[in-house]
Amino acid sequence: MSTPTTTAGHAAAPAWKEWVLTTDHKRIGVLYLVGSMAAFGVAGLMALIIRYEQMELGMQFIESGTEYNGYLYFHGAAMILAFLIPGLTGFAANYFLPLMIGARDVAFPRINAFSVWLFFFAIILALLSFIVPDAPDIMWTGYPPYAVTTAANTSLYVFTVHLLGFSSILGAVNFLVTVIYMRAPGMGWNQLNVFVWTTVAAFVIQLVFIPVLAAAVTLLLFDKYLGTHFYDPSAGGDVLLYQNLFWFYSHPAVYVIFLPAVGILFDIMATMAKNRVFNYKVAIYAGIWGIVGIAGIVWVHHLYIAGMPDWIRLGHMVTTLLISVPVGLLTISLWGTLYKGAITYNTAMMYAASCLYLILLGGLTGIPLAIPSMTLHLSETSYVHAHFHFIMALFSAFALFAGIYYWFPKMTGRFADGGMATFSFWANFVGVNLTFWPLFIIGKEGMPRRYWDYEMFKDVQVMGYSFEDYHLIATIGAFIIAIGMITQTINFIYSAFKGKPAPTNPWNSRSLEWTHTASPPGPGNFGGTDVVVDENWSPYEYNTK
Amino acid sequence: MTSDADTAHAHAHHWEWSWAPLWTVAGTFLLVPIAFSFYFVYDDLLLTAIAAGVGTVLTLAGIAKWVDEGLSETPLLAGVANIGLPIFILSEIFIFLSLFSSYWMMRLGIDAWPPEGTPHIVLWIPLVMTVVLVSSSVTAHIAEEKLEHGNLSGFNTWWIWTIVLGSVFLGFTVYEYAHLIGEGFIPSTNAYSTAFYTITGFHASHVLVGLGAFVAVLIPALGGRTNKTFVSCVSVYWHFVDIVWFFVVSQIYFW
Repeated sequence: MSTPTTTAGHAAAPAWKEWVLTTDHKRIGVLYLVGSMAAFGVAGLMALIIRYEQMELGMQFIESGTEYNGYLYFHGAAMILAFLIPGLTGFAANYFLPLMIGARDVAFPRINAFSVWLFFFAIILALLSFIVPDAPDIMWTGYPPYAVTTAANTSLYVFTVHLLGFSSILGAVNFLVTVIYMRAPGMGWNQLNVFVWTTVAAFVIQLVFIPVLAAAVTLLLFDKYLGTHFYDPSAGGDVLLYQNLFWFYSHPAVYVIFLPAVGILFDIMATMAKNRVFNYKVAIYAGIWGIVGIAGIVWVHHLYIAGMPDWIRLGHMVTTLLISVPVGLLTISLWGTLYKGAITYNTAMMYAASCLYLILLGGLTGIPLAIPSMTLHLSETSYVHAHFHFIMALFSAFALFAGIYYWFPKMTGRFADGGMATFSFWANFVGVNLTFWPLFIIGKEGMPRRYWDYEMFKDVQVMGYSFEDYHLIATIGAFIIAIGMITQTINFIYSAFKGKPAPTNPWNSRSLEWTHTASPPGPGNFGGTDVVVDENWSPYEYNTK
Repeated sequence: MTSDADTAHAHAHHWEWSWAPLWTVAGTFLLVPIAFSFYFVYDDLLLTAIAAGVGTVLTLAGIAKWVDEGLSETPLLAGVANIGLPIFILSEIFIFLSLFSSYWMMRLGIDAWPPEGTPHIVLWIPLVMTVVLVSSSVTAHIAEEKLEHGNLSGFNTWWIWTIVLGSVFLGFTVYEYAHLIGEGFIPSTNAYSTAFYTITGFHASHVLVGLGAFVAVLIPALGGRTNKTFVSCVSVYWHFVDIVWFFVVSQIYFW
């Protein structure tokens, strides 16, 4: 860290200590951002290898199916656990939630530092899979019996989940206490930024559901290394027990990612449209908390073809379809927030606007997957793979990038907007559509997920083209995304040091992180005086007379 | 980032930092994932010992530093850990619920219980352990009362009694495990041993963490430094571990 940083003239510590050993929520947020973007880079490289391998029939890049499994494992585990969750609930929540509620830090700053270190050591553990001879080859799901019988090192997977899980649980404790007790005097619940609400909801989900995942993988560890029989039917265990425990967390994990992403969009859209949040209370209480309420009773839709009784599948079909109601309410509020607004289209807003399209496609393609009779056909095909990439990889990642552009002036005092930003946005947007549209089409015709090859489909034609042609388009799309992402990363690094200087509130936002702090905020966030708000204050107070 | 300097001078704060979280995480990392992998996956005793040894030292150093800083620095909002800990316990409840549900699923799916290969489980041990653990909750509460009335030496005495009782509890666990393993009842024996060692072991690990926390409170308290929030958090955690034990006893031994 070469950035010169001075202290307040006393107790001068070297700048690296004030960064690396920091307990300040903003700097911890930056550490999360750096770590999650690094994980994104490596996991993105894995995605390129996967796409390159599938571009043509036969083996091009990999030397064995096991090697391919290793890339799939790292791509999935790192994207979800080390990029999206830490990027949204680690970086964005850490840096901006305390600023938005007028707090000087989180309730437990050292536990916050503890969380970020758990995250970094989890990444180290995941990266060890490139060094050890027996890298985990069990996807990010780790299903038994294979995860138990494989010769690969399942313990690396289990402990990566443990470290990240513990990190998130402590984060949840920290942020829930912070929001309940450290809001600025006068700030009522209906005056919170939507991002604050979505983060609280995401942490409630983390708090309740992560322990179940932790238990699932712990039992996996015991089964493999201590010889217990939890997932061993020959001694009274049940492999489906793992799948139930796993998805009991991992479906709600989608909302841990989805909700803060939506929260970022609300804050950007209200600011850029200079408009109130449409239907604020409906979005919060029915939308966000509706999702939290239903999140825990839809997981069986991941197990439709695993041999569940019909009555359970029917019940979960109803609840799964039902969850589109709160999601729909949030979407309506997003559109309504733009209605009759004076919209400024900068890079943040372009990303945010593209999210409205991505959520529409990602959401609608999920409806067939909620229905067991359709899932019998579509399950384990690249249709599923394309569907969840639209929600997770595209919608949520684009929302995170929108957030980075939006808050860039706050974090660095400089703009990241400009030619490179616009170019990288369009490259990413075109790239993701080129990559995932073809996968919907061939998935519907039976292209399996997770296979490194598709020899058995070489004579199948879809609309006059072979699977290979569709894979070629998808691979070209992936490389266009790579160009976009590399440009974007260069842009972020360049702009952080040499970008156009920005005023403290360049978007004329009403939210506290813009109105009450310097860019970047110093220690203690708000200078000498504590923030106090009155009952008429709102972070979205734009169209009052 | 030039404006850092300006804002830093504008008010009296400075950037806060601490070694404690890094040491604790690095230690735990070596002690659990790395040592486990060396032992169970790569079968290397020497490296296991090195990782576990360095890990233990780092973890203890980290916790000691953390406690020291916690007792000497003023938090932003005092006493708020009394809210944070119960929120954390909610998470703990769900992990125990997952373990118990897994046990119930196995048990209800098997016709004959206990399954073949289960030796006679001696029931007086868990009863005595229950008495010991409940007593330790009582002594912890008395210690807290003493502190409330400003009686630090009384607090120390009752706190030490709590540690003694907690250690006796763990001693019984070791005795029972040794006895059962001697009879050939090991984690891989059958469905009952699977659940038995997992659930009692997981509870015992919580007792161990609780004892560590008691010692972390005791050492500075013997030198006259303590903090009511710290004490009441450790105490509440201990009561939680105590209550979980009732579920362990009723489900594992007396069902």
